[in-house]
Amino acid sequence: MAEVSWICKRTVVSTKPVEAGKFCPLSVLDRIMEHNHVRVVLYYRCPKERKAGESTRMLRESLAELLSAYPIVTGRLLKTAEGHWMIKCNDAGVRMVEARAKGSVDKWLQNFDREKELNLVHWEPMFHKLYFWSTFYVQLTEFEEGGLAVGLSCGHLLSDPICVTIFIKAWADMTLNGKMVTPPLFHRLPRRGQCNETTNPQPFPELINYYKSTLEKPVPVVQAKQTTIKLAFGDEMVRSCIAMSHAPGSPDEPSPTPFQALAGLFWVGISKIKGLRNGLISMSICLDMRKVLGLDKGFFGNCMVYNQVPGDGIEEYELSKAANAIREVVDTMDAEGIMNLIEWMEGKADQFSCLMNGYDLICVNLEHVDSYSAIFEENFKPIHASYYIEPTVGEGMILVLPSPPGEGSFSRVVMITLPEDEAINLLEDKLIQQFSPTILMMADKKHTTANSDP
Amino acid sequence: MPQRSPEFSGSVKLKYVKLGYQYLVNHFLTFLLVPVIAGILLELIRLGPDEIATLWKSLQFDFIQILCSSYLIIFISTLYFVSRPRPVYLVDYACYKPPVTCRVPFSCFMEHSRLILSTEPKSVEFQMRILERSGLGEETCLPPAIHYIPPAPSMEAARKEAEMVIFSAVDTLFKKTGLEAKDVDILIVNCSLFSPTPSLTAMVINKYKMRGDIKSFNLSGMGCSAGMISINLARDLLQSYPNSIAVVVSTEIITPNYYQGKERSMLLPNCLFRMGGAAIFLSNRRSDSIRAKYRLLHVVRTHKGADDKAYRCVFEEEDPEGKSGISLSKDLMAIAGEALKSNITTIGPLVLPASEQLLFLMSLMGRKFFNPKWKPYIPDFKQAFDHFCIHAGGRAVIDELQKNLQLSAEHVEASRMTLHRFGNTSSSSLWYELSYIEAKGRMRKGNRVWQIAFGSGFKCNSAVWKCIKSIEIPTDGPWSDCIDRYPVHIPEVVKL
Repeated sequence: MAEVSWICKRTVVSTKPVEAGKFCPLSVLDRIMEHNHVRVVLYYRCPKERKAGESTRMLRESLAELLSAYPIVTGRLLKTAEGHWMIKCNDAGVRMVEARAKGSVDKWLQNFDREKELNLVHWEPMFHKLYFWSTFYVQLTEFEEGGLAVGLSCGHLLSDPICVTIFIKAWADMTLNGKMVTPPLFHRLPRRGQCNETTNPQPFPELINYYKSTLEKPVPVVQAKQTTIKLAFGDEMVRSCIAMSHAPGSPDEPSPTPFQALAGLFWVGISKIKGLRNGLISMSICLDMRKVLGLDKGFFGNCMVYNQVPGDGIEEYELSKAANAIREVVDTMDAEGIMNLIEWMEGKADQFSCLMNGYDLICVNLEHVDSYSAIFEENFKPIHASYYIEPTVGEGMILVLPSPPGEGSFSRVVMITLPEDEAINLLEDKLIQQFSPTILMMADKKHTTANSDP
Repeated sequence: MPQRSPEFSGSVKLKYVKLGYQYLVNHFLTFLLVPVIAGILLELIRLGPDEIATLWKSLQFDFIQILCSSYLIIFISTLYFVSRPRPVYLVDYACYKPPVTCRVPFSCFMEHSRLILSTEPKSVEFQMRILERSGLGEETCLPPAIHYIPPAPSMEAARKEAEMVIFSAVDTLFKKTGLEAKDVDILIVNCSLFSPTPSLTAMVINKYKMRGDIKSFNLSGMGCSAGMISINLARDLLQSYPNSIAVVVSTEIITPNYYQGKERSMLLPNCLFRMGGAAIFLSNRRSDSIRAKYRLLHVVRTHKGADDKAYRCVFEEEDPEGKSGISLSKDLMAIAGEALKSNITTIGPLVLPASEQLLFLMSLMGRKFFNPKWKPYIPDFKQAFDHFCIHAGGRAVIDELQKNLQLSAEHVEASRMTLHRFGNTSSSSLWYELSYIEAKGRMRKGNRVWQIAFGSGFKCNSAVWKCIKSIEIPTDGPWSDCIDRYPVHIPEVVKL
């Protein structure tokens, strides 16, 4: 019996027409993510007196208002003369699905899994005639006994999870106050300064080498069925993890950040689950480069860069070495290195047909993403946020997210996507258990496929 | 250049001759009376005051003769005043402004069309070509039910649309004029394609709690010219009922009529028809004559239904797959032209100045008796009217009328801009056009307006109004937020 039932699908257009002939180019960081898509779900409680359909109507109207400032979101994909993707701002709108779910939002959150959650955020894979394919999809699901789930999915070509969160926050501001706090900015990624050095040996070839080798790999094939679990680590626990990850012989080194400590923890844990005895599995981290490149908060587009963390020589359970290796890689990803990478990528005329995150274990740092400030109605903050970067075809994906406010500055929520049996084994791992995480979302139960898009 | 000046000066001379002729014929009576009055005055002056007094005394007036004459004069004048038709005043009107969230840009319309008719690319291509040449803009609106993929045209959705449009227009009208629902004596609603039971009129009466003795009429099936038919009906009723107020609501409900099949002749209305409605406050009360904006001068109705081709040219039927829609025949323009000719032949003598009528008569006699090959003289309606509101049925209709009536671009501007901003809103489009003219500040006291509408049947109905109050530029209304952007240049073909 379907818990989520579809009411309708429609297109939401902006309230102001877009001028004809407007085009938005996509940067290399955008284009390399062509085969991925992002899905975000935010859960809210609603006032008791709210009638069915009222929240949906309110949000739909404010979305239409908001879209006037985002012509790139309502545009469609088109190829440039050079064969690269760009957006033609043709004012076609975004698709919106309205749905209804049984029970209340709190009840749902006590008993949900990946498959059920993905029913709350509609997505349509790219189809043949891309000119009629909407790049953004919004789903508003009202819970019959109270509550609302706002699901937003989009092609990774246009925005990364951080950008999607900024968009949702802008939507929330528009609903609450009628105006945006951070209006969007559409501009190219920054270029290197005018100091003309040689274009050859860059100070940081490892990053470019990593991208180069990934681009040359064949398209990965999905093997086992993946599932996602969600764990919450309390403030105290994260602090003790950091303490454990701090290399004992170097008190001058800065202590690892929560992301570095947790990424190290899962790197070590998952390597063990996968049965690796000497060394850890190949892992890449994905970091937000907005602050590093000095971009404004309202920058719209992709600005997350992947880099491999060398794991040779680290034995199992050597948490501090793992965290240290991660920290070293993070420190080397500076503005100069990123801009060199961008320049190198722009030099490559080929299509990017690989999946950046389709091979290794990927750890994505989303700990500063601002999802809990997306408040649509006075006094109703989001109670839960989920992020997915699909498809997950590599060794696994770990997203480190912030916790709801009020749980301590170091507490974090981690979403781990792994093949089903590995996920179940991970929950029983001793190292992970040491930090007593709360299980927010279990692995999918073995049952027949629930209703997905009709 | 030297070759042009004789022609140019020739045309200037012709212009003056024309002006002179017009002035002479139009003020013929004045020209006749002036010498007669002058003669009498001269005679009186010549006679002198004493002589006039003697003349006066010599006239023997019998008391009875005086009494009878005065009674006769009083009787004739009373008969005259009583048998004159009651003037019908248009106090004010309100047009429905659709919410911006119902906007349908071209790209969105084409995308939906493609998603719904995914197996019929030729039909989608056809719709795209129509839309490119339609003259519509990016801000026209369709009702919410049509925004769904696939559209969900249920009866409930149609009723919702009707409530949204009609109640909004009537609320605005009541607010603007201070009219109260219980004062309405006559209510007429016209909506061609949606006719539920109870009628839309009953819906309005129920919502606004109108009086039990209200005279209500619901006109359906009469096409885009039903607005003028409603005005005609209101006028006739206001002749029978003294001191009454009539409210006319003109609209077209799009929801139930969105064609979901693939026949090309039936896809055209999908591309052109958009949401809209208007509510009009008419009165025959003397107290309203002070604040009324317009007075109704004439309504002329022409029906070509006796001709089979005209009857079938706009026809609602089911396509081979059983989907119902309105099919438009290829002869539509030709039949519209014929209907227009009939209408202007009837309205011409009522409104044209004597100069034009004389020319038309001479041309007619000449063609009949002398040479049938003479070109028929098309009277210059620009002399009879200051403003034209041509039903914005489509770009082709406006082009055709502009050519037939020899109107300038400024005369048809209201129609073209209404088509661009609101699309074809059927019977209410004439009111959006009138609203445009007012919003542009072009309406002056004493101006005459001609509203022409075409509709299925085939009908051509028109109404002539005279502006009796100086009209300030309205601060609200459907054009208030966008009038500064108009007029826009509408390209022949918009590339999608």
